[in-house]
Amino acid sequence: MSFDDLASRALDTASARGGAYADIRFDVARTERIEVRNGVVASLADGTSTGYGIRALVDGAWGFAAGSEMTDGAVDAVAARAVALARAAAAIARTPLGAPPPRAYVDAFATPMDRDPADVPLGERVALLLEAERLLHVGDGIAVGRAWLDLWRTDKFFYSTIGSKIAQQIRQTGSGLAAMAVGDGDAQTRSFPGDNGLYMSGGWEIVERAALRENAARIGEEALALLRAPQCPSGTTDIVLGGSQVSLQIHESCGHPAELDRVMGWEANFSGTSFLEIAQLDVLKYGSDKVTIEIDNTMPNGMATCAYDDEGTRSGRSDVVRDGVLVGYESSNDTARAIGRESNACVRAQSWEFVPMIRMCNLNLLPGDVPFENLFDDVKDGVYMESNRSWSIDDRRLNFQFGCEIGWEIKNGKRGRMLKNPTYAGMTPKFWNACDAIGDAASWVAWGTPNCGKGEPMQVGRTTQASSPARFRGVEVGVGYAR
Amino acid sequence: MRAEDREKFAKRTLSHARADQTEVAIYAENAALTRFTHQDVHQNVASQDVVVSVRAIVDGRTGVASANRTDDASIADLVARATELARLAPRDPALPELPAGGPTTAPAGAYASATAEAGADLRAQICDTYFRIAERDGLWCAGYAKTIASGVTVANTNGALASYDGTFAGTNVKMNAADSTGFAEACAADVGSIDATAVGETAARKARETRAPRSVEPGAWTVILEAPAFAELLSYISDHFSAQAYDEGSSFCTGGLGTALLGDNVTIREDYAHPLVLGMPFDFEGAPTERLALVENGIVRSVVTDSYWAHKLDMPNTGHALPAPNAYGPQPRAIVVSPGSRTTEELIASTERGLLVSRLWYVRTVDQRKAIVTGMTRDGTYLIENGRLAGGVRNMRFNHSIVEALKRCEFGLDLHRSSNEHYSVVTPAIKIEGFTFSSGTEF
Repeated sequence: MSFDDLASRALDTASARGGAYADIRFDVARTERIEVRNGVVASLADGTSTGYGIRALVDGAWGFAAGSEMTDGAVDAVAARAVALARAAAAIARTPLGAPPPRAYVDAFATPMDRDPADVPLGERVALLLEAERLLHVGDGIAVGRAWLDLWRTDKFFYSTIGSKIAQQIRQTGSGLAAMAVGDGDAQTRSFPGDNGLYMSGGWEIVERAALRENAARIGEEALALLRAPQCPSGTTDIVLGGSQVSLQIHESCGHPAELDRVMGWEANFSGTSFLEIAQLDVLKYGSDKVTIEIDNTMPNGMATCAYDDEGTRSGRSDVVRDGVLVGYESSNDTARAIGRESNACVRAQSWEFVPMIRMCNLNLLPGDVPFENLFDDVKDGVYMESNRSWSIDDRRLNFQFGCEIGWEIKNGKRGRMLKNPTYAGMTPKFWNACDAIGDAASWVAWGTPNCGKGEPMQVGRTTQASSPARFRGVEVGVGYAR
Repeated sequence: MRAEDREKFAKRTLSHARADQTEVAIYAENAALTRFTHQDVHQNVASQDVVVSVRAIVDGRTGVASANRTDDASIADLVARATELARLAPRDPALPELPAGGPTTAPAGAYASATAEAGADLRAQICDTYFRIAERDGLWCAGYAKTIASGVTVANTNGALASYDGTFAGTNVKMNAADSTGFAEACAADVGSIDATAVGETAARKARETRAPRSVEPGAWTVILEAPAFAELLSYISDHFSAQAYDEGSSFCTGGLGTALLGDNVTIREDYAHPLVLGMPFDFEGAPTERLALVENGIVRSVVTDSYWAHKLDMPNTGHALPAPNAYGPQPRAIVVSPGSRTTEELIASTERGLLVSRLWYVRTVDQRKAIVTGMTRDGTYLIENGRLAGGVRNMRFNHSIVEALKRCEFGLDLHRSSNEHYSVVTPAIKIEGFTFSSGTEF
């Protein structure tokens, strides 16, 4: 049977069983992972997963059931189970939380690509990683070299009882490398690009943009040099953060606290809540005037770029922080309605078997006007840090501490000697209000995070926080090693 | 799909094998979870799936393919795909034979029909218990109740055939007051043994007791981590006991087998058959899992291996492989810390000034080799003064080496299970001198 036929049957069954609204989402996902480790292909894996998840609404309560068997009987059973789960939730609910989406769409979308990775012979893909990994080994001290490639193809088909019928072909690609140097009782790792690699929506051109071979030897040399580098000092100083580290800073200290389900306590027992309370909307000075953070789920190369989210809401752009002031959240239909707004299409499910929930999508720090090399100009004494290796933040997203793989002294506006084990810490609003310069558009990169965790059952999300390098004044550094 | 059906299916899959060696792993899961906040259910979900993973080896070359289709044509395609990938892969001259397996026995009580057959109504009862406690005390609560029935079968063309059916029931609840929170959790193979009232009352008590928290100064503190908090901390050195980390130099115990690196009161075992562990008796290559002393009286005794690392380092295969393909090396999955002789209450009574920590949050490694980690306290942090609990304190950030902590510590008497369906840590509470807090937060 076709997806159209199975969907029609599932929605009819859900309605007949008492569902006031229902939707069904089929996912056909194919994943390919290649990882080379110390000259050996440690992973050459190809996975496919096909199935469907059905949401049903009864008396303002949601039920969700998922299955992978593509038969009439199986679809009927899963639809009935979704309605039964909704009814069981409604039986103990104190207030109705759910309502049908306000609009239906019939549409299709496909991720733009220059070159489909499927057209690149497997031998070519493996050869690229073998060569890049080999180039990391610039000395005996490199104990581990790694190079990897992920190709993800997801086809989604969404149908609802209010008439939506949406087909989307999403293609995401990532690659990276890392070297671990070991010596004198120490282990130091350098990764590239950023700390996860370069992950974007798109095709083989994303792998080529990563330029793994061109940078491998430098990364290996930096890993070795870190073994001999002096320790990053402890104290309060100015810092400049590389773009991928700013990306993670946005992710942890703005992206997560601005999830409206967290704000409303829906994640309280696990991921936590948020200091960005609804009473702070249009009031809180989250950051300096230079800080504008927006959601753009239509941007080129965003990991979360698609035409519709997994509730069937059309993607768009919206502000979270405008000129330093908190002005919005990432939302779903139910959470947005609770604060008198409309959803900005930030709902995703990891795959067919997971319930859609609010996920950080493409949430970006807009570029400033300072060329990267000029970010150091006004720093008399500071530290430049690149590539995250440690990240931690409290469960309301205030007190944070990050560590980076590598740092350099900044003295009188110039980058100086290399420092190892750089860390910095702070409180979120104070930190972002201390941001006085952001790199220009030439240094702005759509950094993707392929492994963001949230929810119970835990779901992995793919998200982008585009950013430039940025400068922050008066920051506590060296915290992780201070005694 | 239960073990008998999976084993038939595994044999059917291997009948398609054309590679030098072929392995099939079958994962079946039927899971349901009810999640709530503010005394309302916002997620009531269920899913069912069977995933088949095939590893083919041709002349020292390996390919892995997986899918969630179980019809004959799909399985034949899957085996052919894995074999095709293997033929295209570079040769690994160090690749060993797949394990031949061996007899294994699942711990008693791993599978409970009550959990496998639990419905939404049973999970709703657990949630409703929390709702009533919260409303009685003027709190709001958030948490979940879940039930999972899962099965694993691993078979290969070298004769390994191993199956495990298990169930897992888990619940947790966070009780929220105006300026304080409390948390408690429980898990078991049998959902019938979960005492939701006890879980809810513990969380509510912590929320009540830590109201109006005060700030205390950062610095070196005597700290008592309750068992769930210690389990969270300890999980961040679990990977140090991997043969891969040990050999490559990213483990604190690299080069230290047979050496006293921790306090002489520290004994850590890897033990899938411990009564409090919910564990599988074989690994994801079908090799029997050994019960090992990782650390004995402070001396590092062993690291865990799989077929690849056992062969590479000329060590015994301890049966700790992860699912193929695995670039992370073998890993422990059932860590048990031997208890001390005093109860948590007695540890508190012996503390002149310190902190009692219920839960840790967002623990991350700051320095891999030194095992320095950072993280936050959460959901019930108490001041201890003159041997008594003296109210709540605002949460704090720590930076401390787990290894250093385990050189100067005392363990509590009672063991607690912190588990998910794949990984167990069984720990007592721990008292640590000079535990370093670097800053505080606003709540």
